[in-house]
Amino acid sequence: MNPMMLLWTILVPAAAAALLALIPSRVKVVRELLAVAASAASLVLAIQLFGQKTLEWRPAWMGGGVDFELRLFPFSAFILLALAGFLLLIAVYSTAKMKDHPHVRIYYALVFLSAAMANGAVLSDNFVPLVFFWEGLLVTLYGLIAIGGKASHRTALKAFIISGFCDFCMMMGIGILWAKTGTLTISQISVHPTGLFAAAFVLMMIGAAGKAGVMPFHTWIPDAAIDAPVAFMALMPAAFEKLLGIYLLARLSLDVFKIEKGGAMSILMMTVGAITIVLAVMMALIQKDLKRLLSYHAVSQVGYMILGIGTGVAAGIAGGIFHMINHAMYKCGLFLSAGSVEHRMGTTEMKKLGGLAKAMPLTAAGFTVCALAISGVWPLNGFVSKEMVFHGALETGYTGFAVAAWLGAIFTFASFLKAGHSVFFGKPSEERPAVKVKESPIAIVVPILILALLCITFGVYNKLPLNGLIAPVLDGRVEAGAHLDFTSHALDLFNPVAGISLGCLLLAFLLHAYGWKKGGKKPYLASEPIHKAPGLKTIYGWAEKRVFDIYEQGVVFLRGLSWVLFHGIDRPIDFVYEKAVTSVGGAMGGLLSKAHNGRYGNYLAWCLGGLLILAAVISALV
Amino acid sequence: MIFLYIGLPLIVAAVLPLVGKVSKKVLPDVLANGVFLFLFAYAVTGARGLLAGGALHQTFAWFGEPLGIQIAVDGFSLFMLTVVALVSACVGLYSISYMEHYGAKANYYALLLMMVAGMNGLLLVTDLFQIYIFLEVAAVASYALVAFGREQAELEAAFKYLMLSVVASAAVMIAIALLYGLTGSLSFTGVAEGLRQLDAKAAGAIASALFLMGFGLKAALVPFHAWLPDAHPSAPAPISAILSGLLIKVSGVYAMTRIFFHVFGLTPALSDVLMWTGTVSIVVAALLALKQRDMKRMLAYSSISQVGYVVLGIGIGTPLGIAGGLFHLLNHAVAKSLLFLTSGSVQQATGTRNLDEMGGLAKRMPVTSTTSLIGSLSIAGVPPLGGFWSKLLIIMALVQSHRPVLAVIAVLASVLTLWYYLIMQRQAFFGKLNERWAAVKEAPFWMAASTIVLAVLCLVLGLLFSSVVSTWIQPAADVLAQGMGM
Amino acid sequence: MATLDIVLLSGLVLASAFAVLAKDLIKAAVALAVSSLLLGIVFFRMNAPFAGVFEISVVAGLITVLFILTIALTRTEGEVRESKTVLRVFPVFFVLFIAIDALVMKGLTAKIATLPAAAESGTFGDVLWKQRTFDLIGQLAVILSGVFAVLALFRKRDKDE
Repeated sequence: MNPMMLLWTILVPAAAAALLALIPSRVKVVRELLAVAASAASLVLAIQLFGQKTLEWRPAWMGGGVDFELRLFPFSAFILLALAGFLLLIAVYSTAKMKDHPHVRIYYALVFLSAAMANGAVLSDNFVPLVFFWEGLLVTLYGLIAIGGKASHRTALKAFIISGFCDFCMMMGIGILWAKTGTLTISQISVHPTGLFAAAFVLMMIGAAGKAGVMPFHTWIPDAAIDAPVAFMALMPAAFEKLLGIYLLARLSLDVFKIEKGGAMSILMMTVGAITIVLAVMMALIQKDLKRLLSYHAVSQVGYMILGIGTGVAAGIAGGIFHMINHAMYKCGLFLSAGSVEHRMGTTEMKKLGGLAKAMPLTAAGFTVCALAISGVWPLNGFVSKEMVFHGALETGYTGFAVAAWLGAIFTFASFLKAGHSVFFGKPSEERPAVKVKESPIAIVVPILILALLCITFGVYNKLPLNGLIAPVLDGRVEAGAHLDFTSHALDLFNPVAGISLGCLLLAFLLHAYGWKKGGKKPYLASEPIHKAPGLKTIYGWAEKRVFDIYEQGVVFLRGLSWVLFHGIDRPIDFVYEKAVTSVGGAMGGLLSKAHNGRYGNYLAWCLGGLLILAAVISALV
Repeated sequence: MIFLYIGLPLIVAAVLPLVGKVSKKVLPDVLANGVFLFLFAYAVTGARGLLAGGALHQTFAWFGEPLGIQIAVDGFSLFMLTVVALVSACVGLYSISYMEHYGAKANYYALLLMMVAGMNGLLLVTDLFQIYIFLEVAAVASYALVAFGREQAELEAAFKYLMLSVVASAAVMIAIALLYGLTGSLSFTGVAEGLRQLDAKAAGAIASALFLMGFGLKAALVPFHAWLPDAHPSAPAPISAILSGLLIKVSGVYAMTRIFFHVFGLTPALSDVLMWTGTVSIVVAALLALKQRDMKRMLAYSSISQVGYVVLGIGIGTPLGIAGGLFHLLNHAVAKSLLFLTSGSVQQATGTRNLDEMGGLAKRMPVTSTTSLIGSLSIAGVPPLGGFWSKLLIIMALVQSHRPVLAVIAVLASVLTLWYYLIMQRQAFFGKLNERWAAVKEAPFWMAASTIVLAVLCLVLGLLFSSVVSTWIQPAADVLAQGMGM
Repeated sequence: MATLDIVLLSGLVLASAFAVLAKDLIKAAVALAVSSLLLGIVFFRMNAPFAGVFEISVVAGLITVLFILTIALTRTEGEVRESKTVLRVFPVFFVLFIAIDALVMKGLTAKIATLPAAAESGTFGDVLWKQRTFDLIGQLAVILSGVFAVLALFRKRDKDE
């Protein structure tokens, strides 16, 4: 196959973006047809390339190591395929959901531009084009959030600053790597993360994991959930950014840096992963808005991926990567179902919903499957990948990380029980908007159902993606001799690890049931603390009461922790991003402005001073 | 032929005031723009062939007797000639509509042509004293152009500009005199030869400090920058564009680079001084720009900051650094002229330059706002526009020459740049439409057309960056890199 | 060096400094004219009559007239109040500069070796025409620019303005 084909994967969406930006807003049908056709074309292209497996295109470019090198290999082919798939689903979905959005023209253009940039980033085998595409994504991210609504400009700026900081770290890491190795071609670099290389790895990890939305670089995601179009949430934070961030992280820790099991970098990654899992899921648990809840989960699940890749163990890495694709599927599905609900109800506040399953059975079914998948219920895909991460974590010998992962699993399930219960099942809320509810249009439902079906397929026939997609990625990259055989890990119900996981699910169910009852059978209160704790009734209730106390303490503690997290970590991080940087810049600027008083003598004095300093410096140096 | 770059604008400028008696507008428009377009077309098509056999030296004869006119073209000066021709052509087109209400169009074009002739002359000369003279030609014309509107603020700014510029000329003059006294020669090669024989370290250091101050003043490097934020915003928009886009680069950066690379030879000490001066300019001016509420003043501070990048890149002295610096020079010339032109369109439409009073203009002036956005993003270094690549090259060159501190500062300052440009864009063009501007109209044809040309160029420079670098920048950078080995 | 030269040069420095410091712009312009007049005299005394003529006619004469006209155009009513410290900045730098200059230059001038200038043959006019033709073009351009500047700044208001 002609290596120029690789360029087409970038050019096709880019050309589509340009066309979509030019088509006048009034011609809706043409635009929608073009969007779907262009994304279908990219998918066809991606499938063809996937069959190709390896392809390299290294045209002469600037020279001096700065080259436009594109490289297709099993991993990038896999990501390319996934990106194209999600693009098509979102394009179809947007034809219905974004139809009346005021900035629909810019929206489509930016979505396809993002796709072009993402394809470019995945294929780049040189850090310079990689940075180019990576930065391009930053711009489209800003644009896509900014077209949301009134407050979205602030959120867009916040996302821009946070992501920009991560990219900046990555560039510094690349700088160190380049200065030390002398090459910018990614596939030529292979170093051990010690000394300066360790710093380079940490910096680049911030860049990659920050793109994926790991703590503490996540705070814009929940805000964007409210401000930005929901299709954007399904596309970028749920799918594209996870795929790209984790793809880069996996390449860094598999190819560029040799991350070893039990090494400092491995421990660092696992710690970051574990902290992200637990803290983010606790935040998710107490959310009252469906989209916000989902967005915190989008943060929390990244933890599993990083934890898995950080283990440095074959099973863990495979699990992390598998979790990446699984997460993209079910989180995309969940956001799309939230969008479907929003499409009909005009709100996603759980308090105002309830009992939608009857009116919107397809959306509800899709949501349920995806929610069970993210919670890791057997036999869905989330179960398989989480099991692999647990196994990997246990294999490193640091049981604590596995415990954190299980803890995350408990609260994940609990929060989705609450979400599903309060939106689709249970009784309709009294505050439910008085609209006639019916199922969303077909263009909205079909993508959700496809994603749900994929979740089931990847779970039940997990050998298929594991051997077809993941195994080629790991082939010969994990410690020598460790041949990957996914049948060796008993990924079924009958082993102790799975037992513990199922126990976690059970625990989550009990927690939910208890909270629901205490919350006056209002599911949206299920995770809420039970303030009006019933007093002592009988002396016989001692045992019960003690059980209850533990629960309440737990909930209060959780609430306290959530509060502390929010005000102690979430908000201060925000503060640093929003206030501290601004005011330091402002103060410096003010000081300098004072020196510019418009007086000629003053300006001349600087010139004389400058001359003296320059003369002194030059004389001293020669 | 290459002498046309000086001769043609001079001659046309000389006859323009007379032509102005006959036709007040049409003929001056046609004549001046014809000259600009011709020079640009020639720079792009024909001139490259002249360099096929290396740098070109030309001497002229007067009835068989050799004259003392010597000009030289190499990759560096040809690149700069092209940039001058490009920006002046766009500015000329823009002036057709913009200068309507100022009156005295023939006079305006005459001054503009004089300034271009001065800059072109500066790019072609081979000796120090001629540098001084053409510096003055361009400068005298620019004083008058800054004050062209004859409002209170404009005259005051022009006066301040004149006063500090004279100091710059004086410093350059003293340095030239010093070198002449030392070596007894004025031509680049003669002085360079003499300096090598003499090994006059201290005197050379003082001369280079004086040059740095003189050209630093012209280029508005911190701490010699104070005149620019007054002078550039006060001038009519096309003049602001040409001052920020060209004059500070030609009479500051080009002259400084030419002398430091080809006369003194870039020593490590000079390289360090250039880089740090550049870095200080970048940071200080970026912080100052952040506080501005006046659109053109913000752009003026941004010019100081971006020239800092150019000097930083060239100061590194490695081929990659020089290429990055020169490419940034080109990108900044295009984007900053574009931004000043759009600010002129805004000012003409609304009558204000205060960002607080604007808002939502994108709805009323789509072309102006889109082109301005493209220019802002290019300067701020956002892909895929040209500014991204040039900044990337500079930062990579810094990393390559093991100057991580400067590299980090350069990256952080580009974040600052993006920040104030986002502020500007949001205040001026986005958000709610201020009711005062409900009746505002898009800029007239020639103004819109020339901004569109420049915006497309920003995009093209980014997308075709590798071929632009290899055909235009690399020959120029090679000349400089070779000069160091002298 | 003769005492007269020292007096002239000190006067030159003082007049220039006053030009910068004077609050009243007219006084500053006059001080500038005085300093260039002194410079012209110095030129004459150092056997550079052409430079002297140019200096006195162009700078002391023409430029001063331009300045005073410009200042007359830009006069405003309000006086800007400025703090004392601002006024002190320039003198401090200036004195510092002069001091360092005196210290460094004295030691430096004694040490510098110079190459002889290339022999310049012929009369002033010959040199100007044969060897520095290009300068002549440049100088013509400067004068032309100056003329255009005057034309532009002192133009009559057009009808359509």
